[in-house]
Amino acid sequence: MRTGIFVLAALGLAASITTGCYESADVTLYEPGIYKGRHDSLLDKLENPELRQKLDQRFDGQRDR
Amino acid sequence: MARMKFLCDADRCIECNGCVTACKNENEVPWGVNRRRVVTLNDGEPGEKSISVACMHCTDAPCAAVCPVDCFYTTEDGIVLHDKDLCIGCGYCFYACPFGAPQFPKQEAFGVRGKMDKCTFCAGGPADDGTQEEFEKYGSNRIAEGKLPACAEMCSTKALLAGDGDMVADIYRERVMRRQGRPQTWGWDTAYGGTEDS
Repeated sequence: MRTGIFVLAALGLAASITTGCYESADVTLYEPGIYKGRHDSLLDKLENPELRQKLDQRFDGQRDR
Repeated sequence: MARMKFLCDADRCIECNGCVTACKNENEVPWGVNRRRVVTLNDGEPGEKSISVACMHCTDAPCAAVCPVDCFYTTEDGIVLHDKDLCIGCGYCFYACPFGAPQFPKQEAFGVRGKMDKCTFCAGGPADDGTQEEFEKYGSNRIAEGKLPACAEMCSTKALLAGDGDMVADIYRERVMRRQGRPQTWGWDTAYGGTEDS
């Protein structure tokens, strides 16, 4: 009876010690998540054709004269 | 829809640091933070090359992929921006970025990092356009005013090009054809890949 309790306790102790040795082989691949911040009002402005035209003219100014 | 890109023509860059100064001045970037810097390869040797480097606003931005609080977003034009109210200054984006673009102000002792700061393509951030709040957190919002980034517009040799990717590629192609050299699109493939739609 006493031997059985001793064996069970030893097994329990061994199990609790070896639990710390477990290491998961799975790798977490992090994908870009969904933006959680405030809305940027520039996103709406960029849909304005006038602003787009203005930017396009500005792009063209970078050409060599 | 335009796809905003940066390109530095290494054959034209004269390492004047005008872009760095323009960026600092336009956005009032704090001391110790460099949103843009000029890197010189083989400095002092014949054939040295200088390249102006900042956030390249990558097509598949690795900074956004590793951010644990998802503070990054991309505009329809492909400008990669972030929300400083969400940023926890963990520094993951700095390790992920192939260009070393994310910067962290040293605000406290013991190396504690502040909120991440980087080039915004002069497009501000997620605060009302043109407000003091936006300027203090993210700097100037030139895109909302129909202007291009200050660094590119101030470049005296037009080495630094910014704007619609197709137009930038067209300008650069013309130059290479004229001087009959080899194209040196440093960082272009890393940032935008080699695909047509990137």
